[in-house]
Amino acid sequence: MKFIYQDLLNFLAKKPPKELLSEKLFQLGHEHEINGDIFEMELTPNRGDCLSLNGLARDLNIFFGKAEPVKIYNGDIELHHLNFKNLSPYVCPKISFLEIEIDGNPNPYKPYLENYFSLLGTNKTNFFTDISNYISYELGQPTHCFDANTINHQLIFENKDCDQSFKTLLGSEIKLKGHNAIFSVNKEIISLAGVMGGMSTSCSTKTRKALVECAFFLPESIIGKNVKYNLNSDAAHKFERGVDIQAQEKVLRRFIEIVRDHSSIKHIKIKSFDERQFKKDTIPIDLEKINKILGTDLEEKEYLRYLSKLDFRTENEIIVPSHRHDVKTQNDLAEEIARIIGYDNIKSKPLKILKKVDKSFINIHRIKNYLIDNGFSEVINFPFTKNKEKKSISIDNPLDSNRNQLRTSLKDSLLQNLLYNERRQKDSIKLFEISDVYFNNNKINQESRLGVITSGKRGNNYLDFSKKLDESYLNNILNQDFDNPFFIIEEISRANLKTKKRDKIFYTEILIDKMPENLFKEFDRSYGQINFIKYQKVSEFPSSTRDFSFSIKDSKKYDAVINYLSDLNDENLKDSFIFDFYENKKLDEIKVGIRFIFQSNSNTLSDEEIQQSVNKLLKPIIDLDGVSIPGL
Amino acid sequence: MSNKDNIEPPLIKNEVGSLHPINQVNDFLLNVLADLGFQKVDGPEIESEEFNFDMLNIKKSHPARQMHDTFYVNNKSGVLRTHTSPVQIRSMLESKPPFAFTSAGKVYRKDDDATHLPMFHQVEGIYIDENVTFSNLKDLIHQILHNLFGKDVEVRFRPSYFPFTEPSAEVDILSDTGKWLEILGCGIVNPIVLENCNINSEKYSGLAFGLGVERIAMLKYGVNDIRDFYKSNLDFLGQFK
Repeated sequence: MKFIYQDLLNFLAKKPPKELLSEKLFQLGHEHEINGDIFEMELTPNRGDCLSLNGLARDLNIFFGKAEPVKIYNGDIELHHLNFKNLSPYVCPKISFLEIEIDGNPNPYKPYLENYFSLLGTNKTNFFTDISNYISYELGQPTHCFDANTINHQLIFENKDCDQSFKTLLGSEIKLKGHNAIFSVNKEIISLAGVMGGMSTSCSTKTRKALVECAFFLPESIIGKNVKYNLNSDAAHKFERGVDIQAQEKVLRRFIEIVRDHSSIKHIKIKSFDERQFKKDTIPIDLEKINKILGTDLEEKEYLRYLSKLDFRTENEIIVPSHRHDVKTQNDLAEEIARIIGYDNIKSKPLKILKKVDKSFINIHRIKNYLIDNGFSEVINFPFTKNKEKKSISIDNPLDSNRNQLRTSLKDSLLQNLLYNERRQKDSIKLFEISDVYFNNNKINQESRLGVITSGKRGNNYLDFSKKLDESYLNNILNQDFDNPFFIIEEISRANLKTKKRDKIFYTEILIDKMPENLFKEFDRSYGQINFIKYQKVSEFPSSTRDFSFSIKDSKKYDAVINYLSDLNDENLKDSFIFDFYENKKLDEIKVGIRFIFQSNSNTLSDEEIQQSVNKLLKPIIDLDGVSIPGL
Repeated sequence: MSNKDNIEPPLIKNEVGSLHPINQVNDFLLNVLADLGFQKVDGPEIESEEFNFDMLNIKKSHPARQMHDTFYVNNKSGVLRTHTSPVQIRSMLESKPPFAFTSAGKVYRKDDDATHLPMFHQVEGIYIDENVTFSNLKDLIHQILHNLFGKDVEVRFRPSYFPFTEPSAEVDILSDTGKWLEILGCGIVNPIVLENCNINSEKYSGLAFGLGVERIAMLKYGVNDIRDFYKSNLDFLGQFK
């Protein structure tokens, strides 16, 4: 909901500056953004009563007072003998109709009406509909205007099962399905009640006689219709949240007043249908309970004053105003009081929970610590897949057909993670995931699983660089404490994978519950300590590698070379490691191979840029006597 | 120091992996809450509508229950839990106050765009005892936020709406840029929820709160795109060692 700052001021006795108004709206729980003179509100779903200027002013009354109420037509109105039948009074317990005919063309809009359209960017439609939209903005009650000349037979309201098309007043054709609250004439649906009227009975710029409908519809009968029929109806938004069940006639009298402001009226007729006697909600006065909920020491006089400012009346008990559907209990009243006091003005009181909590380690932390110490990285995957297994659980309303099942194994997800990293030029990949998976087994079964996947080089160092992550590696890592392997390791074939890589892929998956209790016990260590590093954005540009082999013939220079290589610095250098080390004692020569990995965050590095970085990095070494790079 | 007769091979750095940053933040929060007296409880990710909605005073007509917001499974025989609150409901049904529980884990909403994911993580807490007040809730939230953002963090409480708490609040912190950032939701447990769990709401009251783990992680690490957490990119994950 949007409103114009000046428009709200017209409803307030005091005229607060924007900043103060904004502060108080936040205090009351009405989140918003301000763009110039426009406040864009994001109201909580329980506060449908605040979706109007009048509603917000009611809530702000305690701070700024209320201005004189808007003018409504107070004259006598002829009774309308409308041929109307309400077949679903439970869904629509209150409804009023106003027939209004104007004489000739309406005058240009007065500033309050004109500004509503020009400043809020709302489209004008026709005289009656424009007033209907403005009244909804001002008072929060949607109305619908039929061209009265199109309603020639009995008008019926009902909430019924539908299976037919309906053309909205905006011209879109929607297929009504399931239960819908509708108005019909001669079996033709002319309005999707509380949501949008139909094309065949809508007003136009030529309309001079309108039948204005103003009702209370049960929110449950409207909820979801906007989404279901892909509509964006402000009326539905308001009815979903609940309008004032007693406002209909007052709103129609305001309608007349605005018409009178712009045109001379030929005739007006009104008829209200009250299907249910409205009984106001009441709540016992219990200040002790309010103070107990909030932790405050509020006095009764102040308590009752706050409530009266919010239109609650107090006699022997508290009478809830008809626009506050959301207030039913002492806790609801406590929230009202807290909003008025201001949540930030309620003092904190120390809370001590005396129970000691058992923070003892569980298997999951041990195995995680163990795998991380061995170079594995943890991943988290979404559980959705398109692969349907016999025991798969299906999602009734998936995001799309590729995500319509829940995975029954972690394998496919981890394989996709591995292939993703291979495409990003990673040549040593060790990943694991711990997650629950679900099955249909007459009932829904849940299992906590650990999946581990590896492929590529064992490590980026001179001892492991030429070795592969293979079955024996995983066996050594995972099964060393078992006489018979607990982790069953399988090779995943690359035959059906779209990849040119040849490194073998190995995988294992186990049930966490089956893990022996003492496994990796020595990896108990405190958890939950964290060093919040500042994350560096990952480059989306390709990396390039360059390998160099140093021949060190003067052993005195060896330490200098190694120290330098362990502390390299260049803006394009992403990583480096010594992949080869060999000492030839006979020739008194040491060979050191280093791999540089270059990558930029801003572009794909050219050969020239890489060469410049290489030259800069190598220069301090090759300048050393007794150190050379054969072939360079 | 090497010499001609004794060349020391280059040191090999132990190549350690990394715990996923979301789980690091999750564990951090659980650790903070454990120190405050909250016992961790677990529960299933596939829930009944009764535990995910009804017991929490989320009415049948509530928009969150619609097919466009919640994932339903196996011909509507269950839902992917939309919050970890049903775990607390299960624990409350099996316990007598006073108690303090925390539940953490994956939750699901039918969203998928640049700022919303169909799966994310929550850490929630509930404390039920005699005479638990909104003032106590404020104290607890301050303690949690001081652990997360330091003792000088400026905190703002705003009224909000959750069916399972009344009064309800959203809590913001003031960022370095001077903007208020929403950080968690909380409130006094709605007596209807207590009664649903067979707890005498005349005698007992409670407080509850919930934090989005991804949101905290994004703020603390400076990650701007929530989707980065789930690409399983080693260049990304490797930063959180």
